[in-house]
Amino acid sequence: MAATLLILVAALVVSPVIVVTTGRRAGWILALVYLVAAATFLPTAFAVWAGDHPALTIPWIPELGVEFALRADGLGVVFTLIALVIGAIVLIYSSGYLASASWGQRMSFHPTMLAFTTAMVALVLTDNLLVLFVAWELTSLASFLLIARSGAGAEGSSMRTLLITFTGGLILLAAVASIWAVTGTSSISAALADPVWQENPTFAGIVAALVGVAAMTKSAQFPFHIWLPDAMAAATPVSAYLHAAAVVKAGIFLLLRFSPAFVGVPAWHALLITAGLLTSLVGGYIAISQDDLKRLMAYSTVSQLGLLVATIGVGTEAALAAAVVHTIAHALFKSGLFMLVGVIDRATGTRDVRRLPALARDMPIMCAVTILGAASMAGVPPMLGFVSKEGLLGAMLETPGPGWAGWGAFIGMAISAVLTFTYTAKIVTAGFFDGTNDREIKPVPWSLTVPAALPIIAGLPLALAVGVLDAPVAWAAAAALPAGTVPHVHLALWHGVNPELIATIVIIAIGVVTIWRRAWLRPRIERRQPPVDGTVAINELHRHMARLGHLVTRMANSDGPARPLAFIAASLVIVVGLGAGYAWRHMPPLQPGVSQPLDALFLVLITAAVLLVCSSDSRLGATVGLSTIGVVGTAQIFSLGAPDVGLTQLLVETLTVIVIMLVLQKLPLTFGRPGKNRRPLALTVAIGAGVAAGVATHVFNGRRDPSDASQYFLGSGAEQAGGTNVTNLILVEFRALDTFGELAVLGMTAVSMIAILSTVRHRHLDPSPRQDRSFVPTPEIPLREPGTLAHRAITQAWGNAMHIQMLLRATTPIIAVLSAWLFWRGHNHPGGGFVAALVGSCIVAMAYLATARDRQIGPPKLPLRLITAGVVVAITTGMVGLVVEGSFLKPIHVHVGDLHLTTSLIFDVGVYLAVLGLMFTTFNLLGTSATTAKQRGEQTRERADEAVEGELPGPMDTSRGERPIQFGPRTSILVQGREFKR
Amino acid sequence: MILSVTVGVLVAGGIYLMLQRSMVRTAFGVSLLSHAANLAILTSGVPARREDALLNITSAAEAADPLPQAFVLTAIVITMAVTILMLALSVIGHNDDLLRPPESGESHRP
Repeated sequence: MAATLLILVAALVVSPVIVVTTGRRAGWILALVYLVAAATFLPTAFAVWAGDHPALTIPWIPELGVEFALRADGLGVVFTLIALVIGAIVLIYSSGYLASASWGQRMSFHPTMLAFTTAMVALVLTDNLLVLFVAWELTSLASFLLIARSGAGAEGSSMRTLLITFTGGLILLAAVASIWAVTGTSSISAALADPVWQENPTFAGIVAALVGVAAMTKSAQFPFHIWLPDAMAAATPVSAYLHAAAVVKAGIFLLLRFSPAFVGVPAWHALLITAGLLTSLVGGYIAISQDDLKRLMAYSTVSQLGLLVATIGVGTEAALAAAVVHTIAHALFKSGLFMLVGVIDRATGTRDVRRLPALARDMPIMCAVTILGAASMAGVPPMLGFVSKEGLLGAMLETPGPGWAGWGAFIGMAISAVLTFTYTAKIVTAGFFDGTNDREIKPVPWSLTVPAALPIIAGLPLALAVGVLDAPVAWAAAAALPAGTVPHVHLALWHGVNPELIATIVIIAIGVVTIWRRAWLRPRIERRQPPVDGTVAINELHRHMARLGHLVTRMANSDGPARPLAFIAASLVIVVGLGAGYAWRHMPPLQPGVSQPLDALFLVLITAAVLLVCSSDSRLGATVGLSTIGVVGTAQIFSLGAPDVGLTQLLVETLTVIVIMLVLQKLPLTFGRPGKNRRPLALTVAIGAGVAAGVATHVFNGRRDPSDASQYFLGSGAEQAGGTNVTNLILVEFRALDTFGELAVLGMTAVSMIAILSTVRHRHLDPSPRQDRSFVPTPEIPLREPGTLAHRAITQAWGNAMHIQMLLRATTPIIAVLSAWLFWRGHNHPGGGFVAALVGSCIVAMAYLATARDRQIGPPKLPLRLITAGVVVAITTGMVGLVVEGSFLKPIHVHVGDLHLTTSLIFDVGVYLAVLGLMFTTFNLLGTSATTAKQRGEQTRERADEAVEGELPGPMDTSRGERPIQFGPRTSILVQGREFKR
Repeated sequence: MILSVTVGVLVAGGIYLMLQRSMVRTAFGVSLLSHAANLAILTSGVPARREDALLNITSAAEAADPLPQAFVLTAIVITMAVTILMLALSVIGHNDDLLRPPESGESHRP
């Protein structure tokens, strides 16, 4: 068994070389490989027929308990031999069929065929659910490739094939996963023997339906049958193999493989028998009206597989044995008939019966062989097809359920058999006798005719000596039955007079009448065909799915962020609200003391402020409300015992308000009116989200004791780190990587801001203020002549900026000392790098606000350098920790006398630098004045460029060359009443 | 728990603002949402314990839960970065109307 697979895999690997070196003889060589592989498989086969189960296990994913497990049983043997023997014949045929094919066509055919066979053999021999699934998908892929290689015309059909077979693959995945999850084993034989199938009928029913539908997609059962006729675009050898031995038989195999678990599950029987009979009737009916012989064959496969599926659905010993026999018979006659259609195609150049000449005279041997194959398919004695068709009919009588069910199924199958007889007869009569066309008939090489005839002729002696199949069929049926049952199978042409035989006689009688009256019958049947074509159906389905997809994308299909945000908020309402509502009953009670009187005060203040922010039409008013929320929120945070958080929040609020003010000066004064529907919609979503968030907070929070983690940090963690400010210790010592990420986010914000603003053109970034709808032109105020005090007071900013500049002289050193002090004490008291940096940033903010002229503070490239330095310092500290202590960012503690030093202080320097860099960037980029254009000042775009390039020369650099003006108590420009001069 | 009402009010206000046409309002909404999230995270510790988590003045048994505080501290700074970036975006073109087609020439609808 291992040798068989190894030979196939090895041949697969070297097949490109074989194709390159041997050209058109590659088919012969590979056929030989198949036959050798089949020969090496015979010992395994005989062992199985002696009642043994040769097995082989190779570890694959030991972590998951998945093994590449092989285990031969009766089913595996039959399907392996079919795949290899029919494969060999098809390969020989292909060497004739592809005789004039190009190198590329051969290259796309032979290796894919080998992969196909290998996957099929692995599928039928494996004992592992995962391997089974992978092999199943590989056969889907291989059939897709074999169809797709036929050129541009096959594109649509190959995609439809892929769509349907992969849908089935996903369903099989669901089945395999649930079997694995419930039985706890990935071994197929162990899972099938699990008692869960009897103990849990619901689970058994669901999995039975999943497996059944997966197999139906592959075996082209209604309504998944559409891909099979579609796949006719493929080359004839491919079709022959696909229909007789590989893909569609994989579905049959899957049903037989899982049959032991599902026999007795009502859903299994109902699904398979109904779908199978329906498919065989629909397929047979459509087949009758086909004019293309290949399409006729395709629908005939659909119909025959329907019979197989229905029989497997019956699930008795006799039914399963009959299904196995018919699988063998079908593999033989269908592969042969397909190849014969290829022969007719090659001889006449057409497969359309309306354009065929009467071929019987010119190709008598082919005609005879076709009649034999057709007889087998129609179930006429003494062919193998007769034996199997008898078995199928007999099996129907054993249909589980009420008494009428068996007879109903029997009659259904008999009707299907009449249809089969009719379309089979059409192949012979229309193909060989009725033709009127007188087109030229080309000679066909024996490498095409002999392989085509071989499997059909094999059906004759096999039927006469049908006893040789007893053991293989018995053991295959045994594998499809619950463990321990080995049916007694005795196949014979003559079983005495029974309902099957009578039915067969009636079928043949009706069939002969249809042949006799075919000229009258055919047009009457062919007019009544189903109006819906499968291809059209799939395309329609596809179109509707696309429309549904567009419908879904409408949730996000908007330029403004409001629509997607509304849907996100709405899903928050649904998920969080429902989850919290459900969890409410299961939560422990609230702890005492979670609500305190101060909270109520803060709630009132915050509610008022929120109402102000939301309702204010004025941007300034909203900003006031926002900062109120910030301040009250800070107080709330302090009251929760989080001094570090509160400090940070307060400083962030301060700086954010300054940034907002810088931005607001360039925006309209008011927000503008929302549309008619926006306010009620927004209110609905907002209130829903608010309620959901509130309920969730109430349900989930404040109901437990301190977590283990926080107890650790408060206890041994703080001791170990040598500090008392636990929050800050966590930030720089335990979760330093988070803090590092945060520092990087701050740096990247500055970089992104520069990058975004650099991509917008100047005139779009800072358009003329006249385009602003709230633009108020500077009023014409009659002033005294230039140079006077009054003129200067209106037109120049010196006077306004002077006071704050004077003030800064005193405050800057104080803030600097404060910043340093906060930085230093962070380890034990509220403070630390962030807080210190935010305080330091206040110096920057004040300095920016104090300049009388619109200019950058600091050298243009300073911010990016600060950020770079910050990141470098942080990484370096981290690397030192990695090298010395073996962990990235792990702090190193040093005691110098009483002084406790740690490298996390250096890390904090990095944080400090990055924050400062961001604030410099923000003030410089966002702080340009709305009216600077008139005053020859710098504008946003120029500053963004300079942040990267450094000082740029140009007409706008006039304000940059000057040194800042030094004001002092004795500066007398205003008093002296003249322009400032140093 | 009173704080859960505060969280609810802040979320409602935040979402309402985020659904408005103005980018500045959206930025304010993000700010409100972040306040709400911070309070929710802080209360996920043990909101009944409210002594500062400073071990030189508070005993470990009374100290507030320091772990959520560390989370929130990070969150505050990230919020600042996000708000600043949104404000920078809203000032482009001196108009923050999110439904107004940009004047830079690119088409409005895909």
